[in-house]
Amino acid sequence: MSAATQRLGRPTPQGVGNFLRDNPIYVAIVGLVVVTSIVEPKFLTVDNFDNIIRSSGTLAFAALGMTFVIMAGFLDLSIGGIISLVAVVTVTLVDRVGQGPAILIGLSVGLGCGLINSLLIITSGALTQAESLFITFGMSLVFGAAALMYTQGVTQFLTYSQSDISIFDAINAGAIGPLSVFAVMFLISLAVLAVIERRTYPGRAVLLVGGNKVAARLAGVPIGRTIVMIYAISGLMSAIGAVILVSRVTLADPNMGVPYMTQAILAVVVGGTALIGGRGSVLWTVVGAFLLVLLNNCLNLLGVSSYVQFMLWGVILIAVIWLDTVKQARVR
Amino acid sequence: MSANTRVVGAARWVGSVQKAFIAILLVLLAMAVANLFPETKTNFFSEANFVNVLKSASIFLILAMGETVVLIARGVDLSIGGMMAFSGVVVILLMNAGVPIPIAIALTLLVGVAVGAVNAFISVYQRAEPFIITLGMGIVLTGAGQQLTNAHPVGSTLPDFQLVANTKILGPLPILVVVMLAVLAVTYWMLRSTSFGRNVYAVGGDPEVANYSGINVRRTQAATYLICGLTAALGGVMLASQLNSASSIAGENTALYVVCAVVVGGTSVAGGIGGAIKSTIGLLLLGLLTSAFNMLRIESLVSYLPTALLGIIIVSILWLDSYGRKRKREAV
Repeated sequence: MSAATQRLGRPTPQGVGNFLRDNPIYVAIVGLVVVTSIVEPKFLTVDNFDNIIRSSGTLAFAALGMTFVIMAGFLDLSIGGIISLVAVVTVTLVDRVGQGPAILIGLSVGLGCGLINSLLIITSGALTQAESLFITFGMSLVFGAAALMYTQGVTQFLTYSQSDISIFDAINAGAIGPLSVFAVMFLISLAVLAVIERRTYPGRAVLLVGGNKVAARLAGVPIGRTIVMIYAISGLMSAIGAVILVSRVTLADPNMGVPYMTQAILAVVVGGTALIGGRGSVLWTVVGAFLLVLLNNCLNLLGVSSYVQFMLWGVILIAVIWLDTVKQARVR
Repeated sequence: MSANTRVVGAARWVGSVQKAFIAILLVLLAMAVANLFPETKTNFFSEANFVNVLKSASIFLILAMGETVVLIARGVDLSIGGMMAFSGVVVILLMNAGVPIPIAIALTLLVGVAVGAVNAFISVYQRAEPFIITLGMGIVLTGAGQQLTNAHPVGSTLPDFQLVANTKILGPLPILVVVMLAVLAVTYWMLRSTSFGRNVYAVGGDPEVANYSGINVRRTQAATYLICGLTAALGGVMLASQLNSASSIAGENTALYVVCAVVVGGTSVAGGIGGAIKSTIGLLLLGLLTSAFNMLRIESLVSYLPTALLGIIIVSILWLDSYGRKRKREAV
């Protein structure tokens, strides 16, 4: 991490004091965890942590994909629509083509949605975050409406005969050795994305494009190919998130993806990835997503009303961006 | 040769006219053609329908005026949806607590200005990314509204309150539409004929040049957020009065819908270009389209098709907008 940050001109924080000063959100959430574990002993149980990891699934995957998009200085508001669409397609196809093919078709739908986004953005020549934002917002309407049209607005239930081996059950509750299937899937995806980010040319191009698009183009970085890659990754990761969501709740609602758009952006920026692009990492996003889910869990255990929790998401979003801006200004 | 010049001239004229305006003409033409056939004949061209379109576009238009000013000055305010819902809740709760109607409305508008001031402080004076700051503010306001009302719609106990928006004072037009026209006229006048309006365009066109010209860039940008908070609160009050009740979740998609309509009308997300009339055209286009879809009963052909078509149209116009900028960049 330190090599990456030094390369991008950000001074590496030295010592514990600087780390605390630079990451007050981390400190605040860890403080909350300590308070919760004192007030509510149930917090520090294996069951609870199992619960935390399970409920973080969709958000974690969607946020991983979103990280690449934000690192390149774009945004993807369509992931809510993509998650809804993939969920209903997968669930309705299970009966007709079987579980494996249904999941594969669902994942390709997600990938396809991402490719459509990227083609629209490339062909229109959109280079700013704002342009990508509005185009993907329009596409989220289209994808969401496609999910509604496909299901006629009706919630679809996952149906398969109990005697079959269920892939969905395996994803939700299975275990490989000491790790759950979900954790293995997550670690593999994370490893692949981290290698792409750190060790491959296209991955490094993402940060270059995010840092300065004009300089990147003059240096011969293929901007178009980078855009295709980030939106394809975002679409595919959202689709995996949708499959995990379906496994957990065993139904698909054509509106179920909507909340994930804000949450994914929040997880990415809480993790420390700069919203303007050029600085960030999928590893930071893992921390961000974990902290958010932890926060949610703490507030639930402390009995805070869900509306106040919703408000707190907004407050955290504002605080993180504000503090990040102040920090950037100090660096300059 | 002369025919050739004429063709080029015509093409240039088409290029200069707002795409949204052309789209409106196409919608009207399509509906006129549909009226020629008995099975698709509709009441689209009736006074009642146009009054309906105006009424349903009114709230959005009031919000869009503030948003236009912010966008021209290179900002963006996504908290208007939350602000609209929250101010509706506040005005109704104040009146139900015994505050007289005019004072309740005035206090609510003050709340709108105060929220605008917070947005302005963080995103203008602290230079944080306005897109995320105002998105977070929208979440905070929605959560606050839900906490105040327990997420249930609240009705007004004063029957007089609904007269504020619904009394017909100009032929078939209720006060709501008249207020909308007044806000439109004031915004048009402010942008065209006051030094503040000129400063807004100058700041949006190039903040640095504006600064060298002696314009107080930050104060101008901050003022746009205050205006936007005021119009959003006014829209919320009018909506609450129109329905004589308020719901904390009323503003869920409002902000992005309004920003899209404003951009569809021709106001640039890059700042410096736009106007009150353009935004009105953009909103009327979306309103007429929705009305046309309802009249032709497209919903009964395939459920949710109108939403999909609306999304596709928004994406196409935004695509054309970005593509036009790309062509201009390449021509230079």
